[in-house]
Amino acid sequence: MIRKKLQKISVFLMIAIIAVAGLGKVAFAEGDTASKKTIILGTSADFPPYEFHKIIQGKDEIVGFDVQIAKQIAADMNANLVIKDISFDSLLPALDSGRVDFIISGMNPTPERKKSIDFSDIYYDGKQSIMVRAEDKNKYKTMDTLKGAKIGVQKSSLQEEIGQTIEGANLTSLDKISDILIQLQTKRIDAAIMEEPVAKASLTDNTAIAKAVPVTDINGYAVGVKKGNPELLDQINKTVARLTKENKVQEYVDEASSLVNGQQKKLDTFSFFWKYKTYYAAGIKYTLLLSVLGVIFGFVIGLFIALLRMNRIAVLRWVGMAYIEVLRGTPMLLQLFIIHYGLAISLGINFTALESGIITLSINSSAYLAEIFRAGIQGVDRGQMEAARSLGMTHTQSFKTIILPQAIKSVLPAIGNEFITIIKESSIVSFIGVADLMFQTQVVRGLTFAALNPLIIAGIIYFILTFGLSKLLGLLERKLRTSDIH
Amino acid sequence: MISIKNLRKSFGQLEILKGIDQEIRQGEVVVVIGPSGSGKSTFLRCLNLLEQPTSGEIRFDDHLITAKNYNINQAREKMGMVFQQFNLFPHKNVIDNITIAPIQVKKMEKSRATTIAIDLLRTVGLEDKKLAYPSQLSGGQKQRIAIARALAMEPHVMLFDEPTSALDPEMVGEVLDVMKKLAEKGMTMVIVTHEMGFAREVGDRILFMDQGQIVEEGTPDQVFSSPKHVRTQDFLSKVL
Repeated sequence: MIRKKLQKISVFLMIAIIAVAGLGKVAFAEGDTASKKTIILGTSADFPPYEFHKIIQGKDEIVGFDVQIAKQIAADMNANLVIKDISFDSLLPALDSGRVDFIISGMNPTPERKKSIDFSDIYYDGKQSIMVRAEDKNKYKTMDTLKGAKIGVQKSSLQEEIGQTIEGANLTSLDKISDILIQLQTKRIDAAIMEEPVAKASLTDNTAIAKAVPVTDINGYAVGVKKGNPELLDQINKTVARLTKENKVQEYVDEASSLVNGQQKKLDTFSFFWKYKTYYAAGIKYTLLLSVLGVIFGFVIGLFIALLRMNRIAVLRWVGMAYIEVLRGTPMLLQLFIIHYGLAISLGINFTALESGIITLSINSSAYLAEIFRAGIQGVDRGQMEAARSLGMTHTQSFKTIILPQAIKSVLPAIGNEFITIIKESSIVSFIGVADLMFQTQVVRGLTFAALNPLIIAGIIYFILTFGLSKLLGLLERKLRTSDIH
Repeated sequence: MISIKNLRKSFGQLEILKGIDQEIRQGEVVVVIGPSGSGKSTFLRCLNLLEQPTSGEIRFDDHLITAKNYNINQAREKMGMVFQQFNLFPHKNVIDNITIAPIQVKKMEKSRATTIAIDLLRTVGLEDKKLAYPSQLSGGQKQRIAIARALAMEPHVMLFDEPTSALDPEMVGEVLDVMKKLAEKGMTMVIVTHEMGFAREVGDRILFMDQGQIVEEGTPDQVFSSPKHVRTQDFLSKVL
């Protein structure tokens, strides 16, 4: 009898999984209908003036001189350009797993990187500079004066390597330029190493460029492609050569720099929110979508796992237990990376970022929900099952109509907590480039270099979502309780 | 109607029932008495296989219900059971408590099940409570609803497992009255109870159990007025 129930549930689960997988298929098929082929650019669009978000005529676009170059490459190949915004750290894995065809992201062709991907010829020879607080402008005249200083750099960047060559320097490696700037302003670091165009674009009244100039043998930026792809590399090199010959690159740099300028203006929190509301609105949409789907799938899978966990058959019980322990015992971020990158590289299962996010949230919360359900089911008095069975009801009927409703009712507060947790934890999908609330917050920070406002706004929005939900659940609980006064 | 042959039940090393042979006849009211831990409840719960017997045979309406391939749900439809702790479904109101089994098990129309339920509520004197939830009822009312719930399946036999033991003394009477009416209508009943007065008044046959065996049986007069076995005498001298 219980087996029949399990069968039903597993069929439902399979349908759900196929439906999710199907989402990807459909999206892919739509992309294919265009007769032109498509080429996908991976870039970390928080790096003005190289690549950054800007609202142009009410629409959020990724612009910058790297993007201009990518457009030229696509045009020369007669292909449609699709831009994927991915954190700098994840660019190489994205290229490796075939999610993007090439990367242009202010990336230097370091020997370390050359081991895993191929680079084109240099398209722009950028200089490095040292950014300091305005009052320290004359303190750092030569590189020697930086010995023992606290220095901020972008994670896995050329600047990080330069920093490592400075004697006694205390390095802080961060993901975002905006984070480095905050660290500088709040005196957690003394100086930051940046590309000159970036430093110039992000200058404020409080910061200055020091006289010291870092030297390195690896200068300049190149386009990255997956190893063993000489045709694409050739094609890109042709475009780079043409642009260099026509002296277009400097033109693009100037254009992009002028796009950056005038972006920063002091705004109060509300005006700031109003100006960037489209970013936040788009982010809320994804955060809610992820949370709702995560909760629904988590609920169904969690119930299924709880049934496995309590099954009479030892092997199934063991499977349920292992599932729960593994998912609860490892960080969700790790699970996300394994599902998004690991499966793509090892098994060729290519989920979109959104799918990976939904799957991770679903299975992660299912482990917690399974334990909640188990506690609820075991908490129902055994006399309830006996009474139902004594009336001739089958085990399945009794479980469905007598045990489960009581169990769910008793664990409703715990389920509510789990929902709230999911809303908050869904923010980790920003790591793989799902444009949720956290991701959009980072975008706004990258765009404006504003220290606090984007974070405060995100905090308020998250709070409204979770507080609103907890009030709503409280209402539902009270309503249920009126029918069952103990 | 129920025929029990050499019924044994052990929990681990502990043997609770040590070979019971019994014949429950149509229309008979059998009352099982005996000291705590004598196996009375286990015996009753074996009759509808809420406890799986370790060995022995039980036949009900000519079906061997202890057979491996027998679908016990069919027998349970015809065997109503009333528990010490009532075991009403707290998330359902009185009407739904009574109609759920006829609707789900017998696939009865909801309207018809409701008509039957209202009739039964009238019988147990609780028609006005049809929309109440169990938590709003007293113990005696709960147990009367539980009886109505079991009767809704139109059982051939009713099993009562200490139906008044969890009740406040002033509520015992209302439940016993309902049971008495049921017995008068000719319902076959097996009752485990500590209510000796009731056993004597309503029972056709008394089974005295001790240490997993039926030590003595007979009419109420035989057992209560002139018990033969020394353990019966000992027990009765303590409870009467």
